[in-house]
Amino acid sequence: MSLASRVRSWLRAMLLRSRIESEMDDELRFHLEAYAEDLMRTGLLREEAIRRARIEFGGLDRVKEECREAQGLLFLDTLWQDLRFGLRMMRKNAGFTATAVFALGLGIGVSTTVFTAYDAVALRPRPVKDPDRLVGVYRTAEGASYGGISYPDYRYYREHSKTVSDLAMWSGGIGVTTPDLSVAPSEDMAHVAGAIGFHLPQLLQGSAQRLSCVFVSGNYFRLLGAQPAAGRLLLPEDDEPNAVPVVVLSGNFWQSQFHSNPRIVGSTVHLSRAAFIVVGVTPVDYLGTLSTVPPLWAPIVARPLLGDGTRESLENRSVGAGIVYGHLKEGVSLPDAQAELNVLAGRLRATYPEVERNTGVKVVSERAVTYVDSEAWPIVAATMIAVALLLLIACANVASLVLARGVARRREIGVRLSLGAGRRRLLQQLLIESTLIALLAGAVGLPLASWTLHLLVVEIALAIPSYWGTIALQVTPDIRIFGYTVLVSLLTGVTFGLTPALQALGTDVNSALKDNGSMLGRKLSKSRLRDLLIIAQVAACLVLLINSALLLRGSQRALRIDPGFDGKHVVHLSLEMYEPTMGNRQAQLFQLNRRLTEEIGRLPGVSAVTQASRAPLSGGNRFVPVATADAKPLASGEGEDKRPTVGYSYVLPNYFETLGIPVVSGRTFTAQEADAEAPVVVISEGAARRFWRGQNPIGKRLVIGSANARSPFAGERVPFSLASEVVGVVRDARTLFLNKLDDSYIYLPFSPARHPTSTLLVRTSGSASSLMAVLGGTVRRVDANVPVVAAPLDWMVSFDPYFVISRIGGMLSTVVGALGLFLACLGVYGMVGYSVVERTREIGIRVALGAQHGQVVGLMLSQSTRAMMLGTMTGIALSAAGSRLLSAMLFGLNPMDAISFSAVSLLLVAVALFASWLPARRAARVDPIVALRYE
Amino acid sequence: MDKQLELLQGTLDMLILKAVSLGPLHGYGILLRIQQISKDRLEIQQGSLYPALYRLEHQGWIISEWGESENKRKAKYYRLTAAGRRRLQAETENWNRMADVIAGILRTTPEEV
Repeated sequence: MSLASRVRSWLRAMLLRSRIESEMDDELRFHLEAYAEDLMRTGLLREEAIRRARIEFGGLDRVKEECREAQGLLFLDTLWQDLRFGLRMMRKNAGFTATAVFALGLGIGVSTTVFTAYDAVALRPRPVKDPDRLVGVYRTAEGASYGGISYPDYRYYREHSKTVSDLAMWSGGIGVTTPDLSVAPSEDMAHVAGAIGFHLPQLLQGSAQRLSCVFVSGNYFRLLGAQPAAGRLLLPEDDEPNAVPVVVLSGNFWQSQFHSNPRIVGSTVHLSRAAFIVVGVTPVDYLGTLSTVPPLWAPIVARPLLGDGTRESLENRSVGAGIVYGHLKEGVSLPDAQAELNVLAGRLRATYPEVERNTGVKVVSERAVTYVDSEAWPIVAATMIAVALLLLIACANVASLVLARGVARRREIGVRLSLGAGRRRLLQQLLIESTLIALLAGAVGLPLASWTLHLLVVEIALAIPSYWGTIALQVTPDIRIFGYTVLVSLLTGVTFGLTPALQALGTDVNSALKDNGSMLGRKLSKSRLRDLLIIAQVAACLVLLINSALLLRGSQRALRIDPGFDGKHVVHLSLEMYEPTMGNRQAQLFQLNRRLTEEIGRLPGVSAVTQASRAPLSGGNRFVPVATADAKPLASGEGEDKRPTVGYSYVLPNYFETLGIPVVSGRTFTAQEADAEAPVVVISEGAARRFWRGQNPIGKRLVIGSANARSPFAGERVPFSLASEVVGVVRDARTLFLNKLDDSYIYLPFSPARHPTSTLLVRTSGSASSLMAVLGGTVRRVDANVPVVAAPLDWMVSFDPYFVISRIGGMLSTVVGALGLFLACLGVYGMVGYSVVERTREIGIRVALGAQHGQVVGLMLSQSTRAMMLGTMTGIALSAAGSRLLSAMLFGLNPMDAISFSAVSLLLVAVALFASWLPARRAARVDPIVALRYE
Repeated sequence: MDKQLELLQGTLDMLILKAVSLGPLHGYGILLRIQQISKDRLEIQQGSLYPALYRLEHQGWIISEWGESENKRKAKYYRLTAAGRRRLQAETENWNRMADVIAGILRTTPEEV
């Protein structure tokens, strides 16, 4: 009960402050008057009696203060006082405050960034109706734990499930083309991405626009409670087999392409030559269950119209069609739904054993964008731990700065202790000081984090081609993130303030008053730990920075590698055609290519136009097993094909000339060989060396592929030839991967009439970018329905995965390493500063005995320098051991590159030495007289 | 009169509770009553009386009320709560037990050790 009465009394005291004060006054006055009266009765005069009463009572204010304390009022008063004092101290030591705020702001900012990203992806509920009850149903099978449900199965679950209502399906998306719109020039080029060397091929200005269109069932929008921004959204009637084809635009698309013109509703657009009526528009940035905003939403039944499968393929039970979503009914829990759907899946298995074998269903919550399951948890946990460690290191370093200053404040603390301040009160005040700094750091870190994230998202969104979709991730900070930041700041403040505060309070009052700071050479009891911390930090920074230097230098080399072909003057065009399989598709494509070749060939500056099955370094690497014709013949039915594999592509005769790949012996194909698709082949030098080392390969024969081989890629053919004659050898090039020359590569002839391709390569004598400006219009003149993606060949570097990893890894490493270096320097600064103050007397004695300034400074630096050197050597050793692992991403740079190692090490040592020299300088300015009197 | 004894630490609270248990009193009256029932043998610091009263009220052992004094002046009267009564009893028992133990220790003769 006493707790309740305490709280009651405290509350009362808080709220009725002034009344309580006046009551207290009245009460004490009554006492004094009563006592004075009693004294008067013993014969004293009135004034004398009053005086005596007051004296015997004691200090009135003191009593009042104690009464207030007894009521528990004091805490808030002292808090307010401490806050004001803390703010004054911060202003007085602006330099220290700024540094500490910056360092902690970094740590808190990083922590907030990671948390915001995690929140946006895994915690924040999707912007749909009733996200807590939203679930997704996936098919499970061997090797696929999140597979798509087939369309007939989906209808079965929808009809029979009693636990999940309103099942809707999202069935993927495809790219569609429309001649009604053309690509506008992009005003915002991605700045950052371009600056660090990333250029992804974009749609040619002027060509037909390719748009992503996603398919959803008729009740999808109803399930998610979406409201249209104009017109209406899809309804179940639109998903009926013979419904009129309709489409819904996204708000983003409507704004950017149609300038929010309301008359678009009801109008017709042609998507891949089929007519669709626009029935409505979603709100801007509406995602539904996706993570990027698609320009178009269409009902699932429209898929065959747009070229993705046929009406029959929708009924195929063995093909996963999409992901199913629904709402748990009232009172139903996730396990209940899982159990029921398991039963339904079991019935399907019994009814259709051949397709449903080994499959089951999984029901998961779709409340947030990502579901962090048991596989992803380790990564999430590891990231959180890394971030927490970074924050801890920042705290430790700032703490060491505070310690260095704390010694200077010992006098102040000693005086306060001797005046009767309670230790708890002093601890409270010191902690409030450090918490203020931390809160200020949080105020700096939060906007820093959100600005960084915003920048990242915007830059990534700009760098990604528009036809991939618009990223609409919610990374703006909300109240939860703000609360997280405040919490982290408070914790940080206590963490880094606690140790110095406790240490300061361990002060012996007498010795503090006499400034008896230290005995000769006494070291802080935790100096071993601090040494280790410095060594570890320096080593870690060094490893990061050396790696980043290696990666950046390596990726820079990648940009300058001679790939073996002329990338600067060749433009790669890719025709993005997703058209319904019509009878004469091949003939169409052939005609298209022929006219394109003619038209482009006529453009000024263009010296050659060629076609190929793939362009160099653009992915689509294909391999085929080959053997020399006079090798042991392998029966086609024999188990594994043990022949060596080579890369291959189909090319036209002028391919080598267009790309600037020199023919070192023999010749290229003739036009007749190409048209007839004759059994001839041009090989690379590497292939020549591999199969006929030391001999002349011209005239020799290769057995390519096997008769019954089938391509894993739909619609592609696999080369097969029993005896192809080598007619030419070309120089080795890097067409498969950027980081090494192709081992062996063969080029096969093809007839554009019989097997048209969608890759064109254009050589220009001018610059590739100026050619690209006019290419789009040219393509459009030939066929307004064909979207074309184009890029100069030397931009293909951006595609190479090793380059990407190398660049990004290098940048990240640099950023983290630089931050770590800054923090480590703080730690070194603090350490040396503390030791200077601690050993002031010793310095004074040495100077008095004749030591020179330089010697004294050197003495101060010796301990920290030792730690730094140890850290540096450890870092170099670790880097040397590990850099071998990076060699795949270094594009030929020596993993033990002397420049990287030495430059980074020198830089680090120089910076750290500077950081320790700054406080050591103060040692030189110590006046020996003052120092000796210091004790 | 003999020199007054100084209060042992912590006993003021007990004495206040006892004084108030005999009937509601204002602060000055509590002081007088303690002096009276101790037959003036105890030295009470006036300055520590009120903080103790506030503390006891904060903890809920006594409760205060404004009323009229004998000479018609406004004064704050304190009385014991039920919890306070129980507390006084507990403290009294504690005190007596403690006194027994201490006295026993002090009575020990060298032979009994």
